[in-house]
Amino acid sequence: MALLTPSGAAPGPIPAAAGIGLRFQHHRAVIETRPDIAWFEVHIENYMGGGKPLEQLETIRRDYALSLHGVGLSLGSADGLDADHLERVRRLTLRFQPGLVSEHLSWSVSAGQYLADLLPLPLTEEALDVVCDNVERVQERLKRWILVENPSSYLRFRHSTIPEWEFLAAVAARTGCGILCDVNNIFVSASNHGWDASRYLAALPAGAVGEIHLAGHSLRDLGQGRTIRIDDHGSPVIPAVWRLYREALAHFGALPTLIEWDTDVPPLDTLTDEAQKAEAILDAFRVPQVHARAS
Amino acid sequence: MPALRELQRQFARGMWSPSESGTIEAWIEGDAIAEADRLSIYRNTMTGVITNAMRLTYPVVERLVGAKFFAGAVGIFMAANLPRSAYLNAYGADFAAFLAGFTPAASLPYLPDVAALEWAVAGAAAADDAPALDARDLAGFDPIALEALRLIPHPSLRLVRLTTPADTIWRILTAGDEAELAGITLATEPFTVILHRRTEGIALRRLSELECAVTEPILQGRPLGEALMAGGGIDAVALLAEHLASGRFTRTA
Repeated sequence: MALLTPSGAAPGPIPAAAGIGLRFQHHRAVIETRPDIAWFEVHIENYMGGGKPLEQLETIRRDYALSLHGVGLSLGSADGLDADHLERVRRLTLRFQPGLVSEHLSWSVSAGQYLADLLPLPLTEEALDVVCDNVERVQERLKRWILVENPSSYLRFRHSTIPEWEFLAAVAARTGCGILCDVNNIFVSASNHGWDASRYLAALPAGAVGEIHLAGHSLRDLGQGRTIRIDDHGSPVIPAVWRLYREALAHFGALPTLIEWDTDVPPLDTLTDEAQKAEAILDAFRVPQVHARAS
Repeated sequence: MPALRELQRQFARGMWSPSESGTIEAWIEGDAIAEADRLSIYRNTMTGVITNAMRLTYPVVERLVGAKFFAGAVGIFMAANLPRSAYLNAYGADFAAFLAGFTPAASLPYLPDVAALEWAVAGAAAADDAPALDARDLAGFDPIALEALRLIPHPSLRLVRLTTPADTIWRILTAGDEAELAGITLATEPFTVILHRRTEGIALRRLSELECAVTEPILQGRPLGEALMAGGGIDAVALLAEHLASGRFTRTA
């Protein structure tokens, strides 16, 4: 699974190091202070159109490796993909030549309505066919492989027949796509549905996992002793998720790891501190590089 | 067992209308946490994301009515105007028209105009990039060729027709000077605002009726000679020079 290397001098592949999710409010700080961050990831949908955000991202792109992360392709839509949206994504991948492009194992569009959330799929053979067809279409259109991310979920369908980890592995095996392993999402979903998070991790095909996401989540009290974990990306990564992250690295080796924080976005320093925590853990799992040189 | 397409249709119905969520709930695993409560987590996220997108497009409308009123109005608006695309920058085009008929906002007669202006501003901010045409690009044309020339507006260029001083209100609130609002006279003749995106931000200015009479045909792609004749007594050439200097038109690629 070779990464496509961008043309030109801008940094290409995403390194097996900690990056942060870049939001508009930090553009200026990044351009002015050039923080010591290995790479950035942005939401593709935030850069459709033109104007200042794109101009600033191009400036940032000249110095940093970049990953494009989508929330709107709706890979699980039975209706197929929105051709206009796919075209907007294609144009941005051409313009920014990202090291990675990723989307979610979820759906958000039905009958031409956009439901503005990453909605859960029934995990059935039919849904597997739909997702694989859509992933193949994206990869053909973008002329590159993508990563598909496991979602956080708050409900399951009665007629699901395939465990989520097997479903993801099957999508990767059938389409050649990679897996974006969101460790926080595994923790949240496992907690909400009574799954074994370690077993989930262990069941993912290590060779297909190309990136890890880490984020904070919240615990919502529904009364009468009932709680549910909500993936709101509005707080630091919790200790239990850091532990699961170590487990993930033990399975997959050192991988590009993203710190996501989208709600109540803190100062850039808070994000770089979180990235440094991930970096310290990553260090222990990096294979020493052997440099074979002729001279 | 529903087919995926049918499940997604029913899920969408249940998201927009809790009273129509019975079919989808029957397909959801329930336990101590009821199916409806699980579904409502997604519904809350959806309405939150859409409201937030509207907040980014209509910040001055929100300032004028307050966050709670704004969220309520957007909730009613979105139920009748479902997003068609994940590109939410393009969502909310009809909010001004909605507000014009929204009785609870009737005491703020300028609100639909402010919304119309903010929609144009947001559209200009997110419009595609394009190189500006300047006077030097036209230097090589002889007078007859110049008269026949048709210009292409910059993708960010917008004309907005207003019947209240919404542009003044927008300026004051964007600058954060609420206290100045008290000094505004609401009664005004209808007028037109021209706006477009420049490097330093959105540039906005009122056009007189005659300036409008020259500018509109240019925007409609009429030959320059014809458009410049439409201005009656005004110095149409000076107006064109201003349009060009300000970057309101673009070169073809």
